[in-house]
Amino acid sequence: MIEKEKLKKYANKLMFDMKDEEYETLQEEFSIILKQMDLIGQIEGIEKVEPMTFPYANNSSLGLDEFDERDVLTVDEVIENAKSTAKDQVKVPKVVD
Amino acid sequence: MEYRKSTILDLRKSLDNNEITGEQLFEEANKLAHNYQNINSFVTIIDKYNHRKSNSILDNIPYALKDNFSTRGILSTACSNILKDYVPVYDATVYKKLKDSGALLVGKTTLDELAMGGTGTTGNTGIVKNPWDETRAIGGSSAGSASCVALGITPFSIGSDTGDSIRKPAAYGGVVGFKPTYGLISRYGLFAFASSLDHVGCFTRSVLDAAIVTDIIKGYDHHDMTSLKSVGKLQDSINDEVKGRKLFYFKDVCDPNNYDKNDSELIEVLNKFNETIDKVKELGIIVEEVEFPKELLMALYPTYMAISCAEATSNNSNLTGIQFGPRGEGNSIEEIMFDARTKGFSEFIKRRFVLGSYILQKENQEKLFKNAQRVRRLVVDRMVELFKTYDGLIMPTSGTIAPHFEDSSDKLSDKYLILENHLVIGNFGGFPSISIPSGFVNKMPISINITGNQNNDGLVLNIANKIEEKLGYKGIIAGDDNV
Amino acid sequence: MYKVVIGLEVHCELKTNTKNFSRAKNEYTNIPNVNVATVDLGLPGILPVVNQEAVKKALKTAMALNCTNPDEVLFDRKNYYYPDLPKGYQITQVTKPMGINGSLKIVMNDYEKDILIHQLHLEEDTASLDHYSNYSLIDYNRSGIPLIEIVTEPCISNSEEAVKFLETLRNIFIYCGVSEADSKKGQMRCDVNISLMEENAKEFGTKVEMKNINSFSNVKEAIEYEIKRQTKVLESGNKVIQETRRFDDDTKQTYAMREKVDAVDYKYFIEPNMPPVKLTKEYLDEIRKEIPKLPYERYKTYIDEYQLSSYDANVLVKDKEIADYFEAIIANGINPKEACNWVTTVILGSLNKLEVSLEELFVTADMLSGIIKLIEQNKLSVGNAKKILYRSMDEKISPLTIIEKEHLSQIDDDEVLRKFVNEALDEHQDVVNQFKEGKDYVANYFVGQVMKKTKGQASPVKTLEIINEEIRKR
Repeated sequence: MIEKEKLKKYANKLMFDMKDEEYETLQEEFSIILKQMDLIGQIEGIEKVEPMTFPYANNSSLGLDEFDERDVLTVDEVIENAKSTAKDQVKVPKVVD
Repeated sequence: MEYRKSTILDLRKSLDNNEITGEQLFEEANKLAHNYQNINSFVTIIDKYNHRKSNSILDNIPYALKDNFSTRGILSTACSNILKDYVPVYDATVYKKLKDSGALLVGKTTLDELAMGGTGTTGNTGIVKNPWDETRAIGGSSAGSASCVALGITPFSIGSDTGDSIRKPAAYGGVVGFKPTYGLISRYGLFAFASSLDHVGCFTRSVLDAAIVTDIIKGYDHHDMTSLKSVGKLQDSINDEVKGRKLFYFKDVCDPNNYDKNDSELIEVLNKFNETIDKVKELGIIVEEVEFPKELLMALYPTYMAISCAEATSNNSNLTGIQFGPRGEGNSIEEIMFDARTKGFSEFIKRRFVLGSYILQKENQEKLFKNAQRVRRLVVDRMVELFKTYDGLIMPTSGTIAPHFEDSSDKLSDKYLILENHLVIGNFGGFPSISIPSGFVNKMPISINITGNQNNDGLVLNIANKIEEKLGYKGIIAGDDNV
Repeated sequence: MYKVVIGLEVHCELKTNTKNFSRAKNEYTNIPNVNVATVDLGLPGILPVVNQEAVKKALKTAMALNCTNPDEVLFDRKNYYYPDLPKGYQITQVTKPMGINGSLKIVMNDYEKDILIHQLHLEEDTASLDHYSNYSLIDYNRSGIPLIEIVTEPCISNSEEAVKFLETLRNIFIYCGVSEADSKKGQMRCDVNISLMEENAKEFGTKVEMKNINSFSNVKEAIEYEIKRQTKVLESGNKVIQETRRFDDDTKQTYAMREKVDAVDYKYFIEPNMPPVKLTKEYLDEIRKEIPKLPYERYKTYIDEYQLSSYDANVLVKDKEIADYFEAIIANGINPKEACNWVTTVILGSLNKLEVSLEELFVTADMLSGIIKLIEQNKLSVGNAKKILYRSMDEKISPLTIIEKEHLSQIDDDEVLRKFVNEALDEHQDVVNQFKEGKDYVANYFVGQVMKKTKGQASPVKTLEIINEEIRKR
């Protein structure tokens, strides 16, 4: 079973935290899904199959899109939904490298 | 004309004959939306008639849109606290097409948070009840879109389907749920859950209506590289002769003998399915049972979980409260992002994200993510092979009727329930897939699903239409005057 | 002494009308948030759509660097959280970069060297952060601008090679027309990986990374500082720590950056929103055709065929416009050395003085060719030719028009010249006498006199011949 501490670390890397008991539920879920994934690994010849990302049976022959200007937002639209702004920009606490 | 029971075509006739106006239809729909608030179909109800005139068949027809589509100037929350105040600055392509065709938006519908659930109970504005029995769930994630059409508030609604999120709630709600070939409808403006599995689709109360709606919203979109150049009108072939068409179903999965005899509900669902198959055969359609590798069927759910959670983790990384959404508290940039996300997502979503992220980790990716993608290919290849012989797969949409709330959970289970999870095949292969009502068990609707090969949307609708005619459950609605 | 091993990661913004995955303008501006599309802001529901022009330019650059191109265009996601990355992932290429296994030849003072290119890939730039005393502001104009990243193998041995590589690379960008590569606008940036090893060691030393150095001179200083620092560490018996360091422009030193406890896992996976697009041979050939003759090839020709000095050849190829100009003159049948001489003196001098680009300069390669031809035919003196060219640039009148108007064409007609010579001899009998006394050099005095009479149009060579003939007759 994956330790709670590890799961907490993974969660924190995704920029959130969870309650203690929530990690316990997660632990259970991990054991279930990992057990199921183990079974998948046992499917004969699985390693020879090319992973499938796109639901097209054949790779698409879609052309590359032409380029011209469109969908450009106004400055107001860009910052409209941000809760803190200044000088037409989105304002955040000072970012230090 | 009774509005609630009318199909799109019925309303079209009434409008064209000046028996009713668009404004009246909108008021009717708006009134119903407010009256049925106990069901919780809507996050936002639109109270003002807003119409862009067109010659389209959908002109002045009311509809509802799932709240995970971007609607300029209208709250779009995906039922998540992290977007609870988000008012987009742009329109989803589907919404734009419907607006341009004169359709009337009645409201934005409730979903499972970020569309990542199958119960209709995880949205931040509360559970969606099943209009046929309010002690039951209607399923999700497009819960509100399903209940809204099931109640007759609107003749159609728009949903999204990543695993079964249109087809399952359609089944539990006694309505038609259709998701076409991947790419037939643009995903631009649909809040992404799992990009390679996400589909836009619709709920209606007839197969023909599903074809009508899809014909309006389909088409190539320069905003979506996965969108397909438009094919002909799907309605055109809807009445074609189906005699000699061939369907198949998964033998072991549909055989009542393979299940616990005491599970009377399940046995009844399967018996009804077999009765349905007999009626389908009366149409001259050949239906055969096919052995599908058990190991692949068993792998469907974990495969779906792995791919969808992995993509979802990445797709939702934009939700940090910086550009939009509630701002987190804290003194540093990390702290405010951390706080916004900790408060913004429910526990269930967080668990999915951690799982997805784990699956993508460098050291796990080969074994978890890539193996899932490999199974996906094995399943799709197998299906495509079968589609060389058969026109479609016919299956019970679900092995159960809508579950009671206390039995409804999205917690990962180690029970392999192939009957509950086979619909993801349609998402793996981007196959057109439709669920239509096929009767009742314990006074609750049950449903069959038909899935065909890519780009055979017209054929799938054609077969479904003929079966619908034969079964006679077209246009059923739930609600107080119906029970 | 330790052996120095350097690898570079160079980022360069591509010149395109619109951004890499959106249709907002790709343009440098100081006004914040004016070139932002939905995609660049990472709004819910957005989908990236690749810019054909960016793909083309990335492929073209890869070809110019002798890389192998992939069979299809495919993108990956690099996942990490940072306020300048609105989507929470950057679209880049890991699975199928636009180019792999390339090389670029650099010419040092006394040797040449192939710098091996590990890969070239197409990705998107981030938004820019402006830092104030207690907050930062985000400007999304830069978000999504097409960026190519070129990663070299660790095969660079010192700061001179590094800078020469960057200069040569920048020149390739400009020759291919893929970027302005202006580091002042942040269009070309560089990460430096550097390690030191014992002369005979088999394995590389510990690598230190210096990120985001924005000028070639800073690359040089950063490397030199780092060599000194690491040498000191090693000589004192300590170990170099694997870390990321920041080069400070003011102090010219490098500083360790705040380190994360463990390495970041970017969880790369194929971008599912952009289906692969097959690259046909025809498509690639079409792009290849657009690549001009590159600097090194020209350099070789100038030295081997035209017998120019390495110095001159370098000056000419440094700027594609200049090299093209030079070659156009040669195409007009002018002797290459002569052409080189005129281009490197008069033309380059004027560009500096007038502070204009070659494109803006009035005198075209054809005009200059015409003038050089007149000199070769002894119809124009070098001095006059220069005056005419400068006037032409000033007044924006064609040099031939000036010659016609001012009768500046050189006089090489024997009879005409003989008349002027005799006039001069008549006027200065005393100097003629000096000649008779054996002072041959005074013949030049008469050349000057004839020049005066002809307003400089006389052919000096011919004039001297005739003076010698006529003076002996007396």
